Amino acid sequence: MTMIGLTVNARPVEASVEPRTHLADFLRDNLDLTGTHLGCEHGVCGACTLLIDGMPARSCITYAVACDGAKVTTIEGLDDDEITAELRAAFTREHALQCGYCTPGMLISARDLVLRLAEPDERSVRAGLSGNLCRCTGYVGIVRAVRAVIEQRRRRGIAPVAGGGRQTLGPVGSGNATNSAQPDGARGTTAKPEAPQPMSGASAIPDFTPAKTFGETFTVPYPPDKVFDMLGDVRQVAACLPGASLTDMPTPERVEGAIRVKLGPISADFRGAARIERDVDTLSGRIVGIGSDQRSRSSTQGEIRYRLVPSEQGAATRVELSIGYSLKGMLAQIARDGLVRDLAARLTADFARNLDRHLSGDQTAVITEGRQELNGMTMLIDILRKRVSTAIRRFLAR
Amino acid sequence: MKAAAFAYERPTDLSATLALMARANGTAKLIAGGQSLGPMLNLRLVEPDLIIDISGLSELKWADRRGDELVIGACVTHGDIEDGRIPDVTRGAMQRVAGAIAYRAVRNRGTIGGSLSHADPAADWVSALSALRAQVALRSAAGARDLPVERFVTGALESALRPGEIVEAVRVPAMAASARWGYVKACRKIGEFAHAIAAVLIDPEQATARVVIGAVEAAPIVLADAAALFGGRITGDFERQFDARVADAILTKAGLANAADRHIHVAVLRRAIGEAASA
Amino acid sequence: MSHAEGHLPSDATAGIAQGVGARLTRKEDDRFMRGRGQYVADIRIAGLQDIAFVRSPLAHARIRGIHVLERFRDVVFTAADLTGVKPIRAVSGLPGFKISEQPVLATGKVRHVGELVAMCVAPSRAEAEDIAASVTLDLEELPAVYDMLGARDAGTALVHEHWGDNVFLESAFEVDITRAFDAPIKVTREISTARQCMSPLEGRGVVATFDHRLDQLTLYTGAQMPHIVRNGLSDCLDIEQGRIRIVSPDIGGGFGHKGILLPEEVCLAWLTMRKGCAVRWIEDRREHLTASANCREHHYRITVYADRDGRLRGIDCEATVDSGAYSSYPFSACLEAAQVASILPGPYRMPAYRCRTFSVATNKCPILPYRGVARTGVCFALEIMLDAVAVAAGIEPGEVRLRNLVSPDEMPFDNITRKHFDSGDYPQAMRRALAAIDIASVRARQRTREADGRLIGVGLSIYCEQAAHGTSVYAGWGIPMVPGHEQANARMTPDGGLEIRVGVHSHGQGLETTLAQIAYEILGIETNKVRVVHGDTALTPYSTGTWGSRSMVMAGGAVATACIEIGERAKRIGAKLLQLDPAMVTLRDGRVCGPNSSIALAEVAHTWYRRPQDLPPDVDPGGLESTSGYKPQRDSGTFSYAAHAVTVAVDPDLGEVEILDYVIVEDGGVLVNPMIVDGQIYGGLAQGIGTALYEEMPFDSAGQPLATTLADYLLPGPAEVPEPRLDHMETPSPYTMFGVKGIGEGGAIAPPAAIANAVNDALRPLGVELLHSPMSPRRIVEAVLAARRAERPAA
Repeated sequence: MTMIGLTVNARPVEASVEPRTHLADFLRDNLDLTGTHLGCEHGVCGACTLLIDGMPARSCITYAVACDGAKVTTIEGLDDDEITAELRAAFTREHALQCGYCTPGMLISARDLVLRLAEPDERSVRAGLSGNLCRCTGYVGIVRAVRAVIEQRRRRGIAPVAGGGRQTLGPVGSGNATNSAQPDGARGTTAKPEAPQPMSGASAIPDFTPAKTFGETFTVPYPPDKVFDMLGDVRQVAACLPGASLTDMPTPERVEGAIRVKLGPISADFRGAARIERDVDTLSGRIVGIGSDQRSRSSTQGEIRYRLVPSEQGAATRVELSIGYSLKGMLAQIARDGLVRDLAARLTADFARNLDRHLSGDQTAVITEGRQELNGMTMLIDILRKRVSTAIRRFLAR
Repeated sequence: MKAAAFAYERPTDLSATLALMARANGTAKLIAGGQSLGPMLNLRLVEPDLIIDISGLSELKWADRRGDELVIGACVTHGDIEDGRIPDVTRGAMQRVAGAIAYRAVRNRGTIGGSLSHADPAADWVSALSALRAQVALRSAAGARDLPVERFVTGALESALRPGEIVEAVRVPAMAASARWGYVKACRKIGEFAHAIAAVLIDPEQATARVVIGAVEAAPIVLADAAALFGGRITGDFERQFDARVADAILTKAGLANAADRHIHVAVLRRAIGEAASA
Repeated sequence: MSHAEGHLPSDATAGIAQGVGARLTRKEDDRFMRGRGQYVADIRIAGLQDIAFVRSPLAHARIRGIHVLERFRDVVFTAADLTGVKPIRAVSGLPGFKISEQPVLATGKVRHVGELVAMCVAPSRAEAEDIAASVTLDLEELPAVYDMLGARDAGTALVHEHWGDNVFLESAFEVDITRAFDAPIKVTREISTARQCMSPLEGRGVVATFDHRLDQLTLYTGAQMPHIVRNGLSDCLDIEQGRIRIVSPDIGGGFGHKGILLPEEVCLAWLTMRKGCAVRWIEDRREHLTASANCREHHYRITVYADRDGRLRGIDCEATVDSGAYSSYPFSACLEAAQVASILPGPYRMPAYRCRTFSVATNKCPILPYRGVARTGVCFALEIMLDAVAVAAGIEPGEVRLRNLVSPDEMPFDNITRKHFDSGDYPQAMRRALAAIDIASVRARQRTREADGRLIGVGLSIYCEQAAHGTSVYAGWGIPMVPGHEQANARMTPDGGLEIRVGVHSHGQGLETTLAQIAYEILGIETNKVRVVHGDTALTPYSTGTWGSRSMVMAGGAVATACIEIGERAKRIGAKLLQLDPAMVTLRDGRVCGPNSSIALAEVAHTWYRRPQDLPPDVDPGGLESTSGYKPQRDSGTFSYAAHAVTVAVDPDLGEVEILDYVIVEDGGVLVNPMIVDGQIYGGLAQGIGTALYEEMPFDSAGQPLATTLADYLLPGPAEVPEPRLDHMETPSPYTMFGVKGIGEGGAIAPPAAIANAVNDALRPLGVELLHSPMSPRRIVEAVLAARRAERPAA
């Protein structure tokens, strides 16, 4: 818990808050100012918009601790505000509200536009209100009301205020604190709950149809049987997979382990098990694994298939690799498909490259066992950039 | 939808911040305006042990013209740029980009440094500043370094930031009087993350063209010398010389396998070039 | 009943108009504009604990185990704890309907992402989420049924094993279809609409507490139909209805989403009785988008037969609706699909018709009727087909419609599915829309190239909206809720004010204002002295609630009926006080008036309540309070309708659609408050535009929902919705009080069809026809590219 002091609707407030408490929850739960509504809690809908240091801001993605020393004005604090009073009259006249849920945030954004916009042109008003969703009115009454108030005020000779009158730089609400934040010693829930026990190692590893697959083919200068032997060594195969680690002694048929993947600030630890199948007659095999990341309630199934084809009269081997996966849970639901796809493509390319180098005896390139992260798409991007610059050179050379 | 618990520190100056980061050893996240991190925290996609709030650091909240470039502190907001609270060396280009980022209430807290650090490929500054030849000034307890923006953003949500390192400022070179600027993004609605971005800086007098294709779910494609897109030579007639087939080929080479994706990116690029031509 | 049958507003009263037809500003606005509305999340009760749920991350899995940390054993509850709680059953009486049992906390299997598995209690939501995060689920994944068309194939995984297939209900309707087969024009299409989320700005929320003094469970919940929630809770918890009170306070938008009994409501009701403290669950946006209820995933295989002049010979259709995993209470899993068969022909004449429908179970969250229910999908399919007929016949789309619409001289009209149209002039609505959009000038513009390379298109659609349909219709569906007489209670207060109590709920519709207008119309009591009480089972008469565009017709009729009764009694008291024969007095401007004298109703009320000694001995002991029931003379529904016409510009390179002009010609019968009606149409249009161009809840093949934040589920904002031009016709319904018709849903029904037709009209030169909503930029670009490839196969 952290002690903060701020001004809310012109009233000084001191409180001890958990750092994770966003400003809207603080106002609603600690101060019973329930006029600030929550619609999405991820900064899109605008229902929670209020004024911080006189400027509109999202209270759902602004944490109360970050507003130490700030001046916060909620809809309840605008009862006697001149612009808001004019807006209220216009809103009711133009039927600019139905269920009323978006209204406080809408009025705050509307007030900002009335303050700043020189002209009541429809396009600017609509663009200016675009951060506030209304599901009831189709915005017709809202836009009419805001335009009317701007028009009336300009006609009365009230000039627009550039930039809403703000003079200082930086995030609104910031820079008002007089000292660094200190935990106040009160018990909050700052301590993370203990990590849940990992799920018992999955007993059965089912077959599945991967949602996405990537293929890679490369040739190594070793005979197929040697390559096949290496692919039978789970530890070596795992070592080629960045971010992977084994948690148990593998048997030839089964292995338990984990893989850490990182996508920007998001990281996931998939723990699970894999089943290994090999067919010496066709020099092919596959590894089918399942894993889950408890924290994000996400799970993945993955499959590595390989087939070895002799080349150069058996002195070398062409490795045909196919990697497939399916992702489920929060990460599948939230992450943009393209981002995950690129991450997986990068994983495939990395694995193939490491396998290639490992088989070629280049131990230095092999990522050592342990908890090294598979760090985003850095490498893929490097490859991409190279490809692009190559392409450009080619065009220039024409 | 409430964030997991985290500890919070608000250091009073940059050196204290850097020391704190060095001590935290990678388990801390910086927060400035929190307009990208906030949603991820609330969704529990990110659960850092420690949040270090840098939004109050006056060392990061200034902007100044120094010679032929503008230095912008990392915690200057999109709104500061939109409203002209800082000087401009881009003939209004940055102001227009800033004014179309997300929504006003977000721009009042979202910062230029935070946006770059987050490195979302669909974000505006990543592409726009790459096209403007901007540099980022990075600082850690170990020292300082500069990187061009296109080398700073290394991938989707990936940057060249090292553990303990922070974006201190962005340095934007002045745009030549003869340069033409075009910036277009395809969004399904205002404030939505872009599905395609094109930023072009074309100077027919200098016969140079810098083209950035962004929102490709990876670091933007930066064509430092984009003459190939214009028949090999930049002339005053560049809009007519634009060769969409070359652009399409570049996108194909860059791994954009879907024809509709490429089509949209090329169309946005053509539009940005058109904007530059009529600028 | 002197006020029935197309009664029009009485003479303008002194001062501002407040009665039926007045554009009165709303009584409810002020509290909302000052942040003083009271929504569920705003309710404060001492000792309130917050709930977070552990939800299934998988679409279909067997539950092998739920592991709870030792120290959280007392604050985490699973199905094993809920002894005696029955699953939610929403059974339809239609023959062949298969019953799903929705456990309030999952037992055995989970059947959709987001299904409730465990309930966690803590002093704050954040801490409850911490506990939820510590619960581990051991799930054995099963193949997910994610595609409603594939779901009917043999060998597909089964959502409910004991059914043997995945079909809730199959229905069929046929009239002489073979007679259409020799028609010279035959067009066939496969048309579909995406799954959507209603996304009112406020999600669901429940606060549950137990009042020991009253021995009563009180549940605050954002519910459009509080009395129906009480029915459902009583069934699931097996406690008598008198021990349950449902309070539905201010609601941040409904649109159908708040017309369902939630497993969360049952859980919290059980929990507060078990733990003895008040508990609260506030749905967050991710829960709303992924777990609660979706809507509108329709698929049509449809063939239209027509003569060369565009006259319809028949429609043959197979329609499938993805109903999700469970039948939701009370509307059931089949209402939507079965409704398709009965409403598809719409306001068109045709001699032959066949429609088979399937309500299919999948591993997705259940569906709910969203504003317009099946009509939005039906209108989309049918109106696209009308345009296809127009193209095939080489006739203007407007003309094809005019040749087939029911004409005013046929009213009242029974269409081929025996829908009874009460009144209206459909061709006139269409003609007015065509004139307003100025088809000729759009066609002229289309012949010239746009400077920006965009393509111009114009699109039409027309629909009818059956509203306030009652007993005769719903008894046929046999679902857990059949509306009967709607009741209202009206009571004069001793100071001359009026209190009205209704079982419907107002959550944006402005009933606190419009019902007061109706009372004013009858009694002349100023609307600012009329208080409308709603949203509380303890205070209001039983009602099936607010749905189906019924409140104005039904509750409005009931309020009028109750007020008429009070008025009659007041007149008799007033006549006595004026010493006149009751036959000589009338009620005017809030006064009982005789030929030369009058007395204020307030005085009458004062006498009744506070000076009873002055009352005549034979006074009606019912006094100045009445609870009266109302049904229209026919309860098969009012038919309001509208013609929509839209001009768009489509960018074939970016796939962007700009709405240049939008015209709506609407007929909702007599309008009680035209301002509010306009607001309903504007709001409906915005949602229709969302359906047409933006909103989509996609799923992957594992049944994972992929638009789980508002960054991905796109709701139209102010810049995406234009201001339309409205034109009203007012054909009274012959069956209802004042001649009103229900209009709440209509605005959302026609836009997807009109916009699709406009987009297709624009893209026709490129050989492109879009048949799936939303018409996203990507779908448009892909269609354009596909058409180009088809044109130049070598390229």
